[in-house]
Amino acid sequence: MPEQTRLHYQEELANLEQRALGGLDLVVASLDRTLEAVEHKDSELAELVIADDDRIDGRYLEVHQAILTLLATQAPVATDLRLISALLHVMHSIERMGDQCVNIAKVIPLTGHDAPQHSEMVDRILLMGKKARFMLSQAKESFEGRDVELAGDLVRQDDLIDNLNKECFQIAVQVGEDQDTREWAMTMMLVARALERIGDNAVDIGEQVAFVVTGLFREFEDASHPGQATLPSS
Amino acid sequence: MTHGHAKKGAKTVFDLQDLTVRYSGRAAVKDVSMGIHEKEITALIGPSGCGKSTLIRCLNRMNDLIPSAAVEGHCYYHEQDLYAPEVDPVEVRKRIGMVFQKPNPFPKSIFDNVAFGPRVLGLSEITERVERALRSAALWDEVKDRLGDNAYGMSGGQQQRLCIARCIAVDPDVILMDEPCSALDPIATGRIEDLMLELKEDYSIVIVTHNMQQAARVSNRTAFLIVELGADEDSRWGQLIEYDETDKIFTNPSDSRTEDYVTGKVG
Repeated sequence: MPEQTRLHYQEELANLEQRALGGLDLVVASLDRTLEAVEHKDSELAELVIADDDRIDGRYLEVHQAILTLLATQAPVATDLRLISALLHVMHSIERMGDQCVNIAKVIPLTGHDAPQHSEMVDRILLMGKKARFMLSQAKESFEGRDVELAGDLVRQDDLIDNLNKECFQIAVQVGEDQDTREWAMTMMLVARALERIGDNAVDIGEQVAFVVTGLFREFEDASHPGQATLPSS
Repeated sequence: MTHGHAKKGAKTVFDLQDLTVRYSGRAAVKDVSMGIHEKEITALIGPSGCGKSTLIRCLNRMNDLIPSAAVEGHCYYHEQDLYAPEVDPVEVRKRIGMVFQKPNPFPKSIFDNVAFGPRVLGLSEITERVERALRSAALWDEVKDRLGDNAYGMSGGQQQRLCIARCIAVDPDVILMDEPCSALDPIATGRIEDLMLELKEDYSIVIVTHNMQQAARVSNRTAFLIVELGADEDSRWGQLIEYDETDKIFTNPSDSRTEDYVTGKVG
């Protein structure tokens, strides 16, 4: 077995991956606060989510710059090149998920202190959030472990979130004639939509796992041709 | 052009001011001003004839060995003018070692090659010193059982690491490397590059390389030189165009000539 060379570069690459995937932890922390703010209609906590998004944006810039430097200075090829390309996508997804938390945080004041509440809708939204949070952890774990099967399972979980989103829509449609209640329901649909997008972003990360491992990029689920999933065979 | 000014707190080991080197009156490199930082790897890149080898040879007065060579301007080493009349070039080369393009071991045993400098300088504890130098050059494990063998029996990559060990056996402060990997295969090159990254913890390193990617991989700062043509077609000399942190040079250079060179548009 020949001695390993370019240890410094390998270390830099591993460190870059850790910093990028660490961005998912930042999103989990932001999502936790966001869901708590939704549940308790806590505008102050929502403000904190908005302010703290700078940390996620900062991580994006940091990883982006490090990727450019590695590309320019180390000329990565093969698996290393796929990894770096994947991290660029992952970081973009992370940044988008952070923004979705901000989108939710921004509408929390609109739900008002004594706005009407339909617990069946709130419960579903909180459940969506919980599932999205779980997906983030699973996306990270699948990336770290280069586990295509685990990455593919994100699609199944995303379907559950999508179904909850559709249920919320039905509840909102049938929420009744009261103006305030309808406004509240519309606002809550924005929250549901943002959570549904976070699930989609987690699936995007899973697709990057498959790309790193197999070298082939395929969407797990094609939005323009629903039902024609191209899940990796496991 | 940018001069790669020191980061806050970063110390310079060399400070070149308007350095010009002439061979028989004709300038090989003109008006170079730059600071070279301590415990960093500084790469000199540029097309053939840009004066990068001439420049690195100024840093330990190797050009003194060429009778027609003349140096103008200043080359300060730890604030001491290297070319001041009272400076002893032998002392300079003890502090500032050099590794050349082609490995050049002496036709002696591995041990004697590394022990050569310390013996000439009358240093003590030669055996310990040789082992330490071979370990630092990542060569000890490969040669410890055959220290008495002739160095010519080693592979090219091993010979080059032996030359690095020979250089560090006299406890230098700076290691100059003039195309140290151009005679080596990619694996041996990778080993030398790893070694350079380890050595910069203890030494300041300046490397001349034709291999731009090598400069990108290992160096902290990169200086880019070009060949400047005079009005009459006969005169040409090297000129420093840009000197900055390496990732800046390779991701967003300030000068379009640097950009054209690093992207391979012009050689």
